Amino acid sequence: MPDDPILQLRQVSKRYPGTLAVDRVDLTVRRGEVHAVMGENGAGKSTLMKILAGSFADYTGIIEVDGRAARISSPAQAKTHGIEMIYQELSLAGPLSVAENVLAGRLPRRGFFLDRRTMVAEGRRYLEQVGLDTHPMQPVEMLSQHEAQLVEIAKALSNDPAVLVMDEPTSALSRAEVKRLFAIIARLKQRGVTIIYISHHLSEVYQIADRITVMRDGRKIATVIPADVDPPTLVEMMIGRPATQAQIERKREPGRKRFRVRNFTRAGFFHDIRFFVRAGEILGIGGLAGAGRTELARGLSGVDPVDSGDMIFDGKYVDPASMRACMRQGIAYLTEDRKRQGLALRLSALTNTANAVHAKRGHLLARRQRKELFSCQAAQLQLHPAQPQRQAAQFSGGNQQKVLLGKWLATAPEVLILDEPTRGVDVGAKKVIHEKVVQLADQGKCVLLISSDLPELAALADRVMIMRKGRFTREMSKVELSENAILLAANADREANPHD
Amino acid sequence: MTDARGDRTANERPEVLWLRRLLGGVGIYIVVLLMLFVGTLVSPDFLTSENLLNIVRPVTLLGIVAVGVMFITHGGHYVDLSIPAIMALSGMVAVSTLGLGIVGSVVCGLGAGLLVGLTNGLLIGYLRLNPIIWTLAMNFMLDGLLRWSTGGNQVYPDYTTGAGDAFVNLSRCEMAGVPGITLLLVVLAAVAHLLARRTCFGDQLQLTGSAYDVAATSGVSVRRVILLSFLISSFTTALAGILLASLSKQGTFTNGQGYDFNAVTAVVIGGVALTGGVGTVLGVVGGVLLIGLLGNIMTLAGWGSFDQMIAKGVLFVIVVGGMAYAARRGGRDDE
Ligand SMILES: Nc1ncnc2c1ncn2[C@@H]1O[C@H](COP(=O)(O)OP(=O)(O)OP(=O)(O)O)[C@@H](O)[C@H]1O
Ligand SMILES: [Mg+2]
Repeated sequence: MPDDPILQLRQVSKRYPGTLAVDRVDLTVRRGEVHAVMGENGAGKSTLMKILAGSFADYTGIIEVDGRAARISSPAQAKTHGIEMIYQELSLAGPLSVAENVLAGRLPRRGFFLDRRTMVAEGRRYLEQVGLDTHPMQPVEMLSQHEAQLVEIAKALSNDPAVLVMDEPTSALSRAEVKRLFAIIARLKQRGVTIIYISHHLSEVYQIADRITVMRDGRKIATVIPADVDPPTLVEMMIGRPATQAQIERKREPGRKRFRVRNFTRAGFFHDIRFFVRAGEILGIGGLAGAGRTELARGLSGVDPVDSGDMIFDGKYVDPASMRACMRQGIAYLTEDRKRQGLALRLSALTNTANAVHAKRGHLLARRQRKELFSCQAAQLQLHPAQPQRQAAQFSGGNQQKVLLGKWLATAPEVLILDEPTRGVDVGAKKVIHEKVVQLADQGKCVLLISSDLPELAALADRVMIMRKGRFTREMSKVELSENAILLAANADREANPHD
Repeated sequence: MTDARGDRTANERPEVLWLRRLLGGVGIYIVVLLMLFVGTLVSPDFLTSENLLNIVRPVTLLGIVAVGVMFITHGGHYVDLSIPAIMALSGMVAVSTLGLGIVGSVVCGLGAGLLVGLTNGLLIGYLRLNPIIWTLAMNFMLDGLLRWSTGGNQVYPDYTTGAGDAFVNLSRCEMAGVPGITLLLVVLAAVAHLLARRTCFGDQLQLTGSAYDVAATSGVSVRRVILLSFLISSFTTALAGILLASLSKQGTFTNGQGYDFNAVTAVVIGGVALTGGVGTVLGVVGGVLLIGLLGNIMTLAGWGSFDQMIAKGVLFVIVVGGMAYAARRGGRDDE
């Protein structure tokens, strides 16, 4: 059986200026296995994988591919060794079409010109593999997050890789898509493709991994077989101490109706949305990807224009035409698209934290106040490293998410619209964020929670509205809430109306 | 355990591009000093106060333009290619409105320039037209318009009233031996610095230039910010255009030629990233000084103006290319 290693890493290290991100890692990846890599935010997972994908020329140590030592110092070299990577932060070219992105580097030509027909056909073939039915000539920037993620996977598959590295591929996917991804993984495995899979979701890893490698602080802790370790032990290996299992407690019941939305409509995106949120209530919005939840959130926060509808907060109308007006009345919107809309990656964490506050107030904070703002957010969200001057791009994915959340918490919002707030954060950080959300609710703020993480939704929300095709189709109360119930509700109408 | 790692990183600057660090901010002045040294080797007359003024004088107007254009670059919209036309237009308008008196003429000249800036800003900020294409087209249209409306002739100040002399003296007045326009540049640079660093507008411009979508979803009125950057740029450009007309004692459509490219060069070697979001006014002023020094040294060394143009072009390519290269080496994954 496949016991022969396809990849063998010996004492591999990588140092960023001032940070030893990967520290003398030995790793064996067997041919044809699904090898999960887990660890806290900033443990060095992405960096290790980027080494394999040829992102760095300055790593140290030895990498053997198929038993032969290989120096992988450019993406092209990685490709010749059959290694493909799906990056944590999506890396597609926005203005180009889906097909051009998928077939990048080897676009079909006829003579001197691009062969458009073949391009469409080829593009479609790969898109079908990942179950995406957008038109191949559509520009990528028109796609939603989860579609872009699928395109990214199609792109990697189109190079027919021997080793496919997936860095948190499911963080932008809904449950149905995760299922589809697992089916794809199973198919690839049958074809003998080796898969390295990074995820913070224990359940996913237990479902598909043959072996699990745990990293902590740049070091490899161990490689284990899932059957041999139970989840708590695995978490303990990741964080280096026993995990605590305290339930989050709510301190107060939701009060009066504080935020109301009536007849909210943006043609083609959402229709006739009406709901209210009580003081101190967490209202979940569930639904399948593409149901219009993000579009609704953008409408409610004044980012996108809406056609009609009223928003009333604390008895006052909020003008959805101006984002600044919305912010001033206390609405904050945490985007699901961290890389493109969330953080200015080239600016420092400090600047990113202060940005929204400055826009809201219309004047700058004094330097000292800015610093305080940052330290306060960094401390309560346990940002690591808590360096104000560090560029946002230089934080690990999960820590970028904390910077983003901090940016909006810093505006002291009264209505918090959270779109996938725990995307890409580790188990511990997720708990920190959940506690923070609950704490805000307990202070009487209104929280709208959009999440494709059903356990999260079930655990945090007081009520869930199910959204489908731009409309609220069902409301579920706290007692009805469970993962399965939400899932059923989101899908139920689909079975009822099989035609659309 | 984790803190040990944090501490090690604490004192180190984040990974900035070495080239930008060298050129941007204070670093560029090291290069300026170096050039001063080179200058003394080339000519013994180099460090006379007479020659030092010769270095500054020809680039003062460039400095005034660059300090404004920097705002466009900073906001991620590269450059205003209609600079030559704005300068020509404002100069010609100012000269032909001298009948209104010196103040009226300057106001008219500035107004004409601002009008162009307003058009650019509205079309680029609100309709999202490509800044390069649009301002290039604007330049052509204005150029044509100016030639057509004057029949291809220059306009000269009317010396019959005092306004003509006053206009010509605008660029020639001195204060304690220092040219007035140099002082003006210093004042403008100081104002620009404050605007970029200490105001909400500057903060929002930086965010817009670094990440447009992020700015748009953080409550920044991106369109207004962009409009403002084009207005600022057209204002200083128009000012330079008026002063240039005053210096050359005439308004002509060729007056602003070359200022577009020179301004970008100054901005870029001053360490402002063409991709937006990075750079300082101090650096830009350094870039302007460097261009002045280079020109002066090359002239002293007997280079012709064509050679000088080629040299500047090469310098530009090296700096821009070097920055792009350094950016890629720095592993920036946001582009
Ligand atoms: N471009 C960079 N420059 C400097 N340091 C970096 C850079 N990218 C990452 N780091 C640092 O390297 C360490 C490892 O980061 P890495 O992105 O590999 O973590 P990760 O395990 O993928 O975390 P996450 O689960 O949050 O994605 C972190 O301490 C991070 O701050
Ligand atoms: Mg990562």
